[in-house]
Amino acid sequence: MLQETVVYLLSNVPGLPPIVQTVHLLGIAVIMSSVVLLDLRVLGLALPSQDVQELTRRVMPFVWWTLPVMLLSGLPFVVARPQRYFTNPIFGLKFALLLPGIALAALLHFNGIRKPDYWGTRLIAALSLLLWIGVVLAGRWIAYVDYLFPPEE
Amino acid sequence: MQLEEFWTWLEMTPLAARIGESAWFPFLESMHVLSAMFVVGTVLMADLRLLGWSARRYSVTVITDEVVPWTWGAFVIAVVTGVGLLMPRASSYVANPAFLAKVVLLALALVNMLTLHFFALRTDRVRLQMTTGACSLLVWAGVVLAGRWIGHLS
Repeated sequence: MLQETVVYLLSNVPGLPPIVQTVHLLGIAVIMSSVVLLDLRVLGLALPSQDVQELTRRVMPFVWWTLPVMLLSGLPFVVARPQRYFTNPIFGLKFALLLPGIALAALLHFNGIRKPDYWGTRLIAALSLLLWIGVVLAGRWIAYVDYLFPPEE
Repeated sequence: MQLEEFWTWLEMTPLAARIGESAWFPFLESMHVLSAMFVVGTVLMADLRLLGWSARRYSVTVITDEVVPWTWGAFVIAVVTGVGLLMPRASSYVANPAFLAKVVLLALALVNMLTLHFFALRTDRVRLQMTTGACSLLVWAGVVLAGRWIGHLS
């Protein structure tokens, strides 16, 4: 019932799929300007005159508001074609990178305010940077799984 | 007519064939998405300051000076990968309404950025800075929407 409704809306409302995907993409842009730029700041690579504690307080709430939006804008496609996603190893990889990415974001939020110069905070930032880049790349490669795992004849 | 021949020639180049027939296409596309979202993310950070919604303890130029070099770096990657994506399907993309809308919106983003750089920042006009910030948010969201729509029409 839910699946039928979602499939009906995605195939009959003009432009709905690209619009929902754009919401998801703009969410990635918010992730880039929040947790990824904070990672680069903590590593000393970007935004030198912006204070880590202030930057953490400023950008991390954006991450927590964006994640539910990502879920809501991604879910319709999974509901519409569950077999496309749940049998897809890249979809699994995306979530295997996303969950530690979220955990490290929470740690970074905590450490960025309490211990901005601690070496462990820099390690968290480096791992977080790699994980979020991995999440975005894996997300795009879900559609290209056949290049990596050619379907058997 | 000559332009159409150019697009066809571009599709026929060995590089275009190489990209179109291999995993180079999805590789370039994933790099395009990553770099383009970094462009939009860094632009967003500057826009929020221009609008006065965020980071008000820093001057507008502190934020733009620190953020815009990253925007340009990511933009160069997005353009190079974008050209790579265009090559194997050039003549179909240049006839794609979403692709044309994206080019127009990118041109508007450029005009907006030049307005900011040469007028709004030089003279410290806060109202104009806020206007360019708001226009930037709308235009870049439009670029992403048009870009995502290209694949749904081809």
